[in-house]
Amino acid sequence: MRISLAMRSLTVTLAMVCGFSDMAKAGVDEALSRHVLPGFGAFAQSSAALAAKAEEDCRAGALKPAYHAAYDAWMGVSHLHLGPLEQGGRSLAITFWPDTRGMVGRTVAGLVADEDPVVDTAEGFASVSVAGRGLLALERLLYEPELAGYGTGDYECRLARAIAVDLARMAREMDDEWPDFAGLLRSAGAPGNDVFLKPEEAHQALYTALMSGLEFNRDQRLGRVMGSFERPRPNRAEARRSGRSKRNVVLSLEALRDLARGLADQPIAESEAAFAQALETAEALDDPVLAGVATPQGRLKVEVLAQEIRRIEEAVAQEIGVALGVTAGFNSQDGD
Amino acid sequence: MDRRSFLSSMVFSAAMPRLGWADAGSPAYLAAAREADGAYALYGLSEDGADIFRIPLPERGHAATAHPSAPEAVGFARRPGRFALVIDCVAGRETHRLHSPEGRHFYGHGAFVEDGAVLVTPENDIATGQGWLGLWARDEGYARIGEVPSGGVGPHDILRLDGDVLVVANGGIRTHPERGREKLNLDSMRPNLSYLTLRGGIEEQVELARDLHLASIRHLAQAQGVVGFAMQWQGDLPDSAPLLGLHRRGEAPVLCAADMAEQMAMEGYAGSVAMSGGQVAITSPRGGRVHVFGMDGQFRASLKRADVCGVASAGSGLMVTDGMGGVLRIRGGALSPAQSYDRAWDNHLIRVG
Repeated sequence: MRISLAMRSLTVTLAMVCGFSDMAKAGVDEALSRHVLPGFGAFAQSSAALAAKAEEDCRAGALKPAYHAAYDAWMGVSHLHLGPLEQGGRSLAITFWPDTRGMVGRTVAGLVADEDPVVDTAEGFASVSVAGRGLLALERLLYEPELAGYGTGDYECRLARAIAVDLARMAREMDDEWPDFAGLLRSAGAPGNDVFLKPEEAHQALYTALMSGLEFNRDQRLGRVMGSFERPRPNRAEARRSGRSKRNVVLSLEALRDLARGLADQPIAESEAAFAQALETAEALDDPVLAGVATPQGRLKVEVLAQEIRRIEEAVAQEIGVALGVTAGFNSQDGD
Repeated sequence: MDRRSFLSSMVFSAAMPRLGWADAGSPAYLAAAREADGAYALYGLSEDGADIFRIPLPERGHAATAHPSAPEAVGFARRPGRFALVIDCVAGRETHRLHSPEGRHFYGHGAFVEDGAVLVTPENDIATGQGWLGLWARDEGYARIGEVPSGGVGPHDILRLDGDVLVVANGGIRTHPERGREKLNLDSMRPNLSYLTLRGGIEEQVELARDLHLASIRHLAQAQGVVGFAMQWQGDLPDSAPLLGLHRRGEAPVLCAADMAEQMAMEGYAGSVAMSGGQVAITSPRGGRVHVFGMDGQFRASLKRADVCGVASAGSGLMVTDGMGGVLRIRGGALSPAQSYDRAWDNHLIRVG
């Protein structure tokens, strides 16, 4: 009797373990198939369209719509700091931000001043400093008044084309590499999988991307601009030249909500409500470059949004983190 | 220490034959961990990362120091900890508890000198912010026998070099326990690497250039007469400041960095450092990567692993541990899993012997 009870309880435990891991695996599958893979597909497509446009007409006016479309698509995946995006400095080569030392402006100005022929081959340009590549280098060419007036025969035109082609290459490579990496996430814990040693590691990786993405919006995209009450820093806003600072927060939150929905295996009512609240606040903010932080009332509005993002983080930790049995990194949060 | 435990330790050492690490199962490593149920323990691990022993800890640890010959480890509480445990790794129990003197706290590290007779512990003098090295006599039941200046503020890691020379990472950051880990002197901090002996005092100090004064020197490793020091950047992030330096006595330090994007991806944070087989590695749990350099300071590889922090020499290679329970070898410029546990390995992996 004793033994059979023990056996039964063992069976129940095993069933629970299996049930849990199947459920959790479904979350990884869904996040990959609904969010990650389509997101990188869309970014590859829009970057390719930007490169094609640059080949056709590299002038600022012609490139702006394709630039915005590519940046929009990037916001769909920029938080996925695992696997392909972690290779070869791609993340910073796509958006060099925060730019604490003003390197984008200096690097672009240097290339233009020298008319550096490094732009003439794709291989050559891929070796240029990450601060001189990607969307924020292109933004300078398209939106800085002293640069944006270039004609088709000017150096800036070749530089804009090189940036677009380089961006399209990186986006294509990541789109090509993601299916294999997704396979590693899906087979986490399987023999021979040297990247994800147990099933929880796949959840941990995607959950970390979700939480870090939320924190980045709050702490960097909003926090850097807010600065301190005595010293707000509107000039630090991401992509402010092209008027995208708030838009990036909105698109990033939408993408993170997508990831949360995929990763969760059960309804996440509190997280949904927190996302909805923050998105509503962000959309109602009539301040595309967050310049309002310069005034106390304007700063308060941005601070409210930051607090609402923090509430998303709390809800996600409660509803998704707890269900998956994962928390923020043990060592990365410790710092000693 | 009270009289009874002093006597019992005397009886214990008199009655027992002298024990060595072999009696504790010859662990190659010590590492602290948080277990799945939230408890903390110190583990002894074999060369391939397999469990050899497990000893419960009362709270989260930071690092341990292995006695050079006796199977005894000193486990330190996390900064700003006030106590350290001396653990008999054969019996699996605490034999002594060290309390930092009034007005002091430990930094989570320590080292043995005098053939293991004296334990040296970096400490903060809370009132003045000056760094001290506390001295404890093992043969007297770890009685406090003195102290010497560490040569700077915020002494963190400490290593014993040949000839009982000590090298100390004075991290430069002043903190006060009442204000948690808040950094009180970022504008004026001047970290240094100090070489000293207990008898002769400071022999040599290394400071980096003024524009790197925000690089807090925290953790140490040594091989082939070279000290490797790992740093933590206290300025705005992202930044491409170097996080690793290599120093040979009497020479200028060699600073090591990867290309700018990789360097920035470390998030200004190196958690541990180890050297072996002509290579040196630093870990960044925040950046989720290990950076491997040659002894010439040249960058060799960036190995991705979430929450990786512990690293130690493993024969002619290196071994890392992470917050998800992984134990992995660095081999041929790649990570190769050795073990996977349901526990979170804490900051440091300590080589025994």
